[in-house]
Amino acid sequence: MSFTPNIPNASVNKEYSYLITFPPIYHGIVISGIDKDEIGLEIESITENSFKIFGTPIKSGTIEIKVKYIQEGLFSNKSKEEIFELIINPDPRDLWKDLPVPDDIEYKKENEFTKCVIPQKEGLKNVIAASKRGRSHAQEAKSRDDHFKITFNPDNEWYILAVADGAGSAEFSREGARIACETVWEFCNQKLSENQDFDNAIIAYKQAADSKDEAKELEARKVIGNQLYSLLVMAAYKAHVAINKEATQKERQAKAYSTTLLLSVVKKFDFGWFTSAFWIGDGAICLFDMNNKTAKLLGIPDEGEYSGQTRFVTMSEVFTDSTALFKRLRFNIVDDFTALFLMSDGVSDPMFETDFNLNNYDKWVEFYKNITENQENPVDLSHEKSEEAKQALLNWLNFWSPGNHDDRTIAILY
Amino acid sequence: MRRLPVYLVLDTSASMQGEPIAAVRRGVKTLIDTLRTDPYALETAFLSIITFNTNAHLAMPLTELMSFKEPDLNASGCTALGEALELLSVKSDIDVIKTDQNVKGDWKPLVFIMTDGAPTDDYRYGLAEFKKRKFGMVVACAAGRNANINVLKKITDNVVQLETADSRTISAFFKWVSASVSTSSMKIESGAETGLLSELPPPPPEINVVI
Repeated sequence: MSFTPNIPNASVNKEYSYLITFPPIYHGIVISGIDKDEIGLEIESITENSFKIFGTPIKSGTIEIKVKYIQEGLFSNKSKEEIFELIINPDPRDLWKDLPVPDDIEYKKENEFTKCVIPQKEGLKNVIAASKRGRSHAQEAKSRDDHFKITFNPDNEWYILAVADGAGSAEFSREGARIACETVWEFCNQKLSENQDFDNAIIAYKQAADSKDEAKELEARKVIGNQLYSLLVMAAYKAHVAINKEATQKERQAKAYSTTLLLSVVKKFDFGWFTSAFWIGDGAICLFDMNNKTAKLLGIPDEGEYSGQTRFVTMSEVFTDSTALFKRLRFNIVDDFTALFLMSDGVSDPMFETDFNLNNYDKWVEFYKNITENQENPVDLSHEKSEEAKQALLNWLNFWSPGNHDDRTIAILY
Repeated sequence: MRRLPVYLVLDTSASMQGEPIAAVRRGVKTLIDTLRTDPYALETAFLSIITFNTNAHLAMPLTELMSFKEPDLNASGCTALGEALELLSVKSDIDVIKTDQNVKGDWKPLVFIMTDGAPTDDYRYGLAEFKKRKFGMVVACAAGRNANINVLKKITDNVVQLETADSRTISAFFKWVSASVSTSSMKIESGAETGLLSELPPPPPEINVVI
């Protein structure tokens, strides 16, 4: 039986080293077929019978290694030649294509988008957001389906943050996500500008909470709940209606525009930060505070609650149960916090994997450090660097996670 | 990372000797070479090969495509399909990572079974064990006219048949398996696995779907 070495596969861009040792009856071994300039690997003789194949491959494929040798026989020596195969895998990163979206598609949208909001007032936080087309879409010349809108209104000092993730399986979800963000923003901005009712309810609630009178607090909490309902839930409902209208006009099913929605309105009062959120579908909204060591999810990821079934703004059944809708609302008043995150599942899935992890403070610390102390693309979240940070955040979204190549969108208020 | 486990369960009994087993060897090689150039498959698909003749053997444990090397396949002996199903069940129990609170587990495994004959063992125990597990897509291929389709029908609803077991048809089968793994590794992103043959690319003319 002839000698068959078990040469492990190599991979492009990965350092490789393998020692191949031939049986002692092999003499005058000459090896050819490994060309450093062509494949990036070289071979070196260590002893008469062992050779080291090493280097970092630059080209994928199956390499034929030719081995010539003299086999010592009982009566005569035979000159022999054998061929061994060395497989070089491609670097998966090179296999992903970045194909442009055709110019003539309906609802054209940029492959990436980034924005920062810097309020011109001492003590206020900045917002940065970035959104990027996923590799799975780039591979097939498909559009980004995610969308976001972030603003700060200097007149009433409300922040509005919206992130939407168009469903991959829905053909026009990129437009569903855009309509969702634009509609909820317009509605909230108008409502918050109209009068002071909401602001007053928050102030009243804070007073009630400080009074330590439980009945009073409960009463004030109900008022806020109702106000939030008519703000955030109604905004989402307006988005639902607007998307349905567009679908009807184009004689399509609303389902073709399926999108999730993560919405948050935030304001700084003298007594602290009021944060609120409403969220339909997967992804995550989290109020993260390193000083108090807390990470509060401002909602329930749909996946956990409804066993793998994501809900969309386009589903009318989402809006038929007001008790369930109330349960999706969250608000908090805190002295301060490190960051408020809104993100699509293109970010939360690779970073957290499970709902259990999303509820784990330590995982959020890891996540925060992954952004700020990233080896390849760190994002400097110091205040004076926000302009640079938005681009850095977009670069950070390139992070590599095998099997996770969805569109990625993240907004950070910090 | 959620892996996509793929099990190839291949008949290597004596009747596969010669052209058929050579075609299977080439088929496996083509399958690997093709999948290596598909970014979805290269990142997510893990492959294992179980062969069966007088006994069932683990020819290749579940291995990522990057490190995969085709095993040397040789044909001899009987057709212990039942034992192969049992080994598949046991292996999948060990290999496939289940979802828990910290990790999302693997996708449901894809299984491709190919045989050119009828089981020579009592396959009922193996079949029962197999049926207890949750697999994703399961396709059974009857290679040639001597394969027992009724037995394959008991394993899965997705049974296909090759008119003859020669290099042309076997090569077509492996190309189709390769395309199916590619499609599955891409589609799992968007969810919805029904385990129906209609989710896979349409089979080429060499492959007949048995209804």
